[in-house]
Amino acid sequence: MHEVTLGMNGTTEDIIVLRDLSKVYKDGVEVLALDRINLDIAAGEFVAIVGPSGSGKSTLLNMVGLLDTPTSGQILLKGIDVSRASPNERARLRNKELGFVFQYHHLIPEFTALENVMMPMLIAGKKESEARVRARELLVSVGLGERMDNRPNQLSGGQSQRVAVARALVNGPSIVIGDELTGNLDTKSSQLIYDLLRDLNKRINQTFILVTHDMVLAEKTDRIIRIVDGRIVCEMRRQGDEFVASEKCDLGEDGGEIRRD
Amino acid sequence: MYELTVAYRHILRNPKMSLFTVAAVTLAVAVIVVLMGLTSGFEEDVIATTVENNPHIVVHPKEDEKYISLYRTVSGILWSYPGVIAVSARLTGKAAAKHKDEVAGVEFVGIEPADEERLMNVQEDAVYGSFFDLRTRRYAAFLGTRLASDLKLHPEDDFLLVLGNKSIKLKVAGVLEAGSAVDKTRVYLPRRTAQDLLGKGDVVSEVAVKVADIYKARDITADLRRLFGYETKSWEETNADVLELIQTQSFYTMIFYVLIFAIAGFGIANTMIMIITRRTREIGILMAMGATRGSILKVFVIESLILAPPAALIGSILAYLTAWAIMSYDIQLPSEVYIVSRMTVSMKPEFFVYAVLFALAVNFVAGLYPAWRASRMDPVEAIGSA
Ligand SMILES: Nc1ncnc2c1ncn2[C@@H]1O[C@H](COP(=O)(O)OP(=O)(O)OP(=O)(O)O)[C@@H](O)[C@H]1O
Ligand SMILES: [Mg+2]
Repeated sequence: MHEVTLGMNGTTEDIIVLRDLSKVYKDGVEVLALDRINLDIAAGEFVAIVGPSGSGKSTLLNMVGLLDTPTSGQILLKGIDVSRASPNERARLRNKELGFVFQYHHLIPEFTALENVMMPMLIAGKKESEARVRARELLVSVGLGERMDNRPNQLSGGQSQRVAVARALVNGPSIVIGDELTGNLDTKSSQLIYDLLRDLNKRINQTFILVTHDMVLAEKTDRIIRIVDGRIVCEMRRQGDEFVASEKCDLGEDGGEIRRD
Repeated sequence: MYELTVAYRHILRNPKMSLFTVAAVTLAVAVIVVLMGLTSGFEEDVIATTVENNPHIVVHPKEDEKYISLYRTVSGILWSYPGVIAVSARLTGKAAAKHKDEVAGVEFVGIEPADEERLMNVQEDAVYGSFFDLRTRRYAAFLGTRLASDLKLHPEDDFLLVLGNKSIKLKVAGVLEAGSAVDKTRVYLPRRTAQDLLGKGDVVSEVAVKVADIYKARDITADLRRLFGYETKSWEETNADVLELIQTQSFYTMIFYVLIFAIAGFGIANTMIMIITRRTREIGILMAMGATRGSILKVFVIESLILAPPAALIGSILAYLTAWAIMSYDIQLPSEVYIVSRMTVSMKPEFFVYAVLFALAVNFVAGLYPAWRASRMDPVEAIGSA
């Protein structure tokens, strides 16, 4: 077991635990996308998942987010095994415990920014007035107080992603996951979003798990998990301004430049 | 009920999609109703024309006799049946009509004008003269228009009606245009005059009846047959050929209906599947946010319930207006070919019911199926498959 030093309350409670998690895609050829992954993530961690294209990063994130079903292994969410939960139970957990930000923002085009942010709360059965107030607050806090009534096609990529972040946070989830959420944005917008997430992580102890290609962004997080061919090959943790690699980091041949100095 | 909110917003902010859904249902309903109406209007017209131009029941002489002499008794008995609205004892036969050098074969009908008028509405077809004159004018006749022109006869001209070696001189008291084959052969004359010509005494060759409800004719006919020795035929038996034609026709009508429904259903299904399949990604996003399968289906059911019934109503109105336009346009058909002389659309309420129920069902199933399929996927699958 690793020691968790981050998070405001310094809890050691693991919010997500993966045990021997595997995923095999079987349309035509069999692809072993995830190969017996074991991973613990504590509340309040800010985690980046990196690795070459096709290594299984998205697959892993989708498993954690209960957006897809594993072939074998276990997913424990707050200590409860959810890998075999019913579709309705998974839907409930996605709504209450998880927030998502995807590469393409995936806002619903018919809805305004405000309505998009309100949606998870409405799905949760909250009152519309309550949802409206909370969604407004969040949009203001991501700097979109002026654009609440715009529809997604009237927003820039960066603005859309900020709406998506607000939407992911609206139900106060245990974990927010993001799959290359800045992959479509320029450097400046990406930095802005990462700073926003970093700030939220610090302020409200929000757990984030982000997949990224961009090592500059990955190094803004506290923990970097490197995946190659469906396996975790390396883990690095921030200590002060430095990253310290775990003893597993002996495979460097895949081109990922994680500098240790 | 956030599902209602989603459905409602989606409809309002996607006017194009909503319009397509409405149009598909509207058109399907209108097409089904109008085409069913036209087909059945034609059939009904054929029956109506047949029923109108012929007696519903005809009592013929007993098997080995040529005439009915107790026709007054027979008439009395016929009148005693409920629903009998006209009884006319007729003496009919074939004869020749002569005027100057013109000769024509005719079919004469000796009648009591009041009785025959009640039976056949003869006066309605008169282009000249008063049919009731035949009651007072003993040697007068009503002729079909074409017969009159063949014989070069004008009103009040005299002509000869020749039967065997007997003949009588008659005056043209009126001319009839029924719009059918009888215009070329028919000669109406007072019954007593016809009896004189025939020389068999006070007899008739048939007693013709009309009843209020044409579908009772068969029962009355059967009853008469059982009670008396007279040959009795209902309109169905007399017009067996026409009815048989309709019977054969109704087989094709069935096929036709099946095709109409298939085409209309295809239109709706196509539109719905196209529209809903395009929303697979949205379904994935909603599910990623925690919408359950049930909720997803609810959204689509609500949308279907909001859009389809008004569309069905518009379709019904459109069908009604189209039918009305067809009827008021008065499209003439050559009656020699089609029996009926104009296009009629029969607007039966059940056509609307069939069309609306069918359109709603297809709209529902075709809209729900892609939604159902999408809702069975994992959210990533749904999002990715768009
Ligand atoms: N739906 C699918 N069906 C079949 N194979 C799949 C499917 N999704 C992913 N894969 C395969 O699984 C492996 C892992 O894919 P995944 O999308 O997780 O990679 P990734 O690390 O996210 O790559 P990238 O950085 O390009 O997004 C790849 O080999 C990919 O081809
Ligand atoms: Mg990926």
